[in-house]
Amino acid sequence: MASTSSQAEAAAVEERESGGKRKRGGATGEAEGLGEEAQPSSKWRRRRVHEIYSSKLLDAIRLVRSGSGLPASAAAAAAADTQPRSRAVREAADRALAVSARGRTHWSRAILASHHRRLQAARRARLREPASPPPRRPTSPPGKGPKTPALARKAKVLGRLVPGCRRLPFPALLAEASDYIAALEMQVRAMTALADVLSTVSASTSSSGAASSSPA
Amino acid sequence: MSSRRSRSRQSGSSRITDEQISDLVSKLQDLLPEARLRSNDRMPSSRVLQETCNYIRSLHREVDDLSERLSELLATSDMSSAQAAIIRSLLM
Repeated sequence: MASTSSQAEAAAVEERESGGKRKRGGATGEAEGLGEEAQPSSKWRRRRVHEIYSSKLLDAIRLVRSGSGLPASAAAAAAADTQPRSRAVREAADRALAVSARGRTHWSRAILASHHRRLQAARRARLREPASPPPRRPTSPPGKGPKTPALARKAKVLGRLVPGCRRLPFPALLAEASDYIAALEMQVRAMTALADVLSTVSASTSSSGAASSSPA
Repeated sequence: MSSRRSRSRQSGSSRITDEQISDLVSKLQDLLPEARLRSNDRMPSSRVLQETCNYIRSLHREVDDLSERLSELLATSDMSSAQAAIIRSLLM
């Protein structure tokens, strides 16, 4: 009994490490059932999430290119340089990632909130209305859990790295960091795949001379 | 007078046990790339936090590099909606 479950576990680990975006199969996956949704590493490794994100990413990036609608990309187009555009791409990718998180985490809400604030500020600047300061919660939650000064210092650094997590208590911060890391890993996988596809497509298009629409 | 009842009302931001924290820290440790190479010996919490910060920073750098690569690719290629549909299907 013990050997079969460890075999299934080993197979699941192997599948994960071979870069598979597939859902974990076998006894381990089934046994976790309801708990699977709670685990960030498995949540962000599902094929479906990856596909949804890739699609959103493609849409968001195309918007950056045409520079429609978003003030951030309008500024980038005005600068007519690759550097602001890469930043616009980065921000679009982050927003798509935050949307894929379905609003259950602090970091995802923080990314979307900061973008929303920037849009509002830009809108007000265009309309020449007086800017209202963004609402900030002044409370810092007490009782962050027992920590040595060294840990407290590192926790502060971590809180600055994960968006929207500066004032979180220690346990919530750790949970957010876990989810954020798993999400970032998926973002890297998806962006790499998209870049590979685009470079293949553009290479084949330029070499063939005419736009060939049939994929290899 | 400290009231014990406040523990049940609060969402858990105080009265966190050491065990809960070390549990979260070990879960974080399992996500780190180092942990997958070595055996799962427990690293000290400060080390886990340090490695977590380093890992997040390296992931951010990777995303920035990929953003730059994507922006260059987009600059050189025009994309019709038909091409976008093909690219989408290639990604799935």
